[in-house]
Amino acid sequence: MLSNAAMSSQLEVQQLEKQNRVLHKKLERAEVTNLELEATTQKKETLLRQVILELRDSQATLESQSRELEQTCLDLQQAQIQLVQAEKMSSLGQLVAGVAHEINNPVNFIHGNIRHLETYLQDLLEFLALYESHYPQPVDEIRQAAEDLEIAYIKDDLTKILPSMSMGTERIRDIVLSLRNFSRMDEAECKAVNIHDGIESTLLILQHRLKSQSERPTIEVVREFAAMPPVECFAGQLNQVFMNIISNAIDALETSLKKNPKVQKAPKIVLRTEAYADNIVISITDNGMGMPAAVKDRIFDPFFTTKPVGKGTGMGMAISYQLVVEKHSGKIVCHSEEGIGTGFVITLPIRLKP
Amino acid sequence: MLKLAVGHSNDPDSLAAITEVLAQLRSQLSGQLPNAGLLFAAIDFEYAQILQKIDEAFPGIELIGGTTEGEMSSELGFEQDSLTLMVFCSKTITISAGIGRNVAQDAVAAATSAVRQAQAHHADNIQFCLTFPESLTISNEIILESLESALGKKIPVFGGLTAGQHPSKQTYQFCKTEVCRNSVPILLFSGPIQFSHGVANGWHPIGKAGQVTKATHNVVYEIDNRPALSFYHHYLGALPPTSEYPLALLDAESERHYMRAPSGIYDETIGSITFFGSVPEGAVVQITEASHDDILAASSQSVQQAIDSYPGKSPDAALFFSCVGRRQLLGSRTKEEHALAQQQLGETLPSCGFYTNGEISPLQDEGSPRIHNETFVTLLIGEA
Repeated sequence: MLSNAAMSSQLEVQQLEKQNRVLHKKLERAEVTNLELEATTQKKETLLRQVILELRDSQATLESQSRELEQTCLDLQQAQIQLVQAEKMSSLGQLVAGVAHEINNPVNFIHGNIRHLETYLQDLLEFLALYESHYPQPVDEIRQAAEDLEIAYIKDDLTKILPSMSMGTERIRDIVLSLRNFSRMDEAECKAVNIHDGIESTLLILQHRLKSQSERPTIEVVREFAAMPPVECFAGQLNQVFMNIISNAIDALETSLKKNPKVQKAPKIVLRTEAYADNIVISITDNGMGMPAAVKDRIFDPFFTTKPVGKGTGMGMAISYQLVVEKHSGKIVCHSEEGIGTGFVITLPIRLKP
Repeated sequence: MLKLAVGHSNDPDSLAAITEVLAQLRSQLSGQLPNAGLLFAAIDFEYAQILQKIDEAFPGIELIGGTTEGEMSSELGFEQDSLTLMVFCSKTITISAGIGRNVAQDAVAAATSAVRQAQAHHADNIQFCLTFPESLTISNEIILESLESALGKKIPVFGGLTAGQHPSKQTYQFCKTEVCRNSVPILLFSGPIQFSHGVANGWHPIGKAGQVTKATHNVVYEIDNRPALSFYHHYLGALPPTSEYPLALLDAESERHYMRAPSGIYDETIGSITFFGSVPEGAVVQITEASHDDILAASSQSVQQAIDSYPGKSPDAALFFSCVGRRQLLGSRTKEEHALAQQQLGETLPSCGFYTNGEISPLQDEGSPRIHNETFVTLLIGEA
């Protein structure tokens, strides 16, 4: 018979033996589990890395899709501008051409008759002179009438009035010709033209804006024209470009003078042309206030304008860009420096490829 | 009156372990003799000796069970290399065991044989079936389909595929005093018993989807016309595919994702991977992953589903069938899975379960039984 103490110590030994077995087994198991967990962690890492790579890929795909969409959106905006522009140009051109035609006939009528009028007057004056030489002492009534009518002055002034009228009708004829040039309704297709004619027409139309105003002096236009071959182009469209750039230049000069009334700077627009083997370069530069880079960078963006609401559409330069780059396979670049001025350089091929 | 008792020992010595378990059971049973039992044992025990001891203690016990990759119970919580036995005592509920052998060779014959043996004892309609089949030598769907047709469509089947130490080389099934391989043991319940279950996994699809272009039953040869292995290597690097990174497949019937885990068997030369459960050709698959918190949240969800759908007042016991892949990812947090479930159900409720190579239960209450992977199945049972 075992004593109680012996029994409990035997039980204790059994307990310890069991604990030993369990611990031993747990240690073995822990090693296996550890290896399993290491492998699992490694797999999870690889999996997550791979998924991140795939996400990056799909992000890149999304970005490129979004760029494509942006481009499509830009293209659509351009197409819209083009349509609006085409419509506007078409109706404006018709109007201008119509007005020019209507004015042309009566002006020609006047201009044509001025020569006859001159001949008749000359004849009348000669006749009067002959009369005076044969009757040096007219009757009192005639002498009195000649004095009252200031015949001597009339004879003198008549010779001046007629050339002045002739010059006036000449001017009207020039303006009408410029309007027709500008609208070029008769030249909707591509033709080889003298670019200088287009520039001159534009200047003539803008003449009233270049002249001195109450608050500012005349804007000087400097022409540095080179000998120019005929350039194949849609002349009406290029005239529109010159118009946009020059009128912007005038706006810039006016703003500059208004903002800095104390600065003594004579407002000036320099028009310069150069001809090369395959292309020509037209640069239009003003000595206005220039633009900050942020404005310059967006100058060709559709609907971008720095003018007050209602003043500018923000379409002028966008249209110009499109007309030069897309319609004429040319280039248009803007240079600007704040306080110095702004210049546009247009490069056009002499021969327009279809 | 349904009385349940649970014993659990982590003693690696087979005799010491079963002696301890039987002592625990006797103290809970206070003289009652159980008529049925479930035995879940780790891979290194002397099973024949253990089964012999159980039969000596409880003569004629209708017992089934199998080898596992981790055991859990209300006695010890989660353990590895342990032995747990749950027993049922009832004068009114009929519980009977059956086993079908050579299931890989003829699953239909095996299932029919098992059902015939077990059904002989039942006068009433069968309420549900528990099963712990072999998992490695045959596509498990075939076992399940055979069982379903032998039992009749209406009978819910629960359980788990027997497991062994990873990578699994061998699993064993138990029926009464017999230790089997390549078999399908079943336990049928009839009489005044009620039950409910919950199913959840917590895994999420991640990465690009692929389409299975060549597969036979549970062996996938090609995904997107390339070797299946390269699909795995793309995401997991050079390491072999294992069960904790299953594929998600979309179930046409329920429009829910279900999991198919690699069994650890693969062929490097042709690039095929064997799964626990079949993968149909044309299935769109995606690799999945889960965090510890996702996994544990799903366990709770499974328990809650079972609690919410339990038809009676309160259950008398809980059974848990959890996936080896869950254990593998959870590592030292595996014990939280059982602890959470036990906490939700009340600390005194007898519970028992194991880590399986594939969990068996219907998705919805009336649906066909399915093999799940990476899933936590909760089964609550009680007297009606």
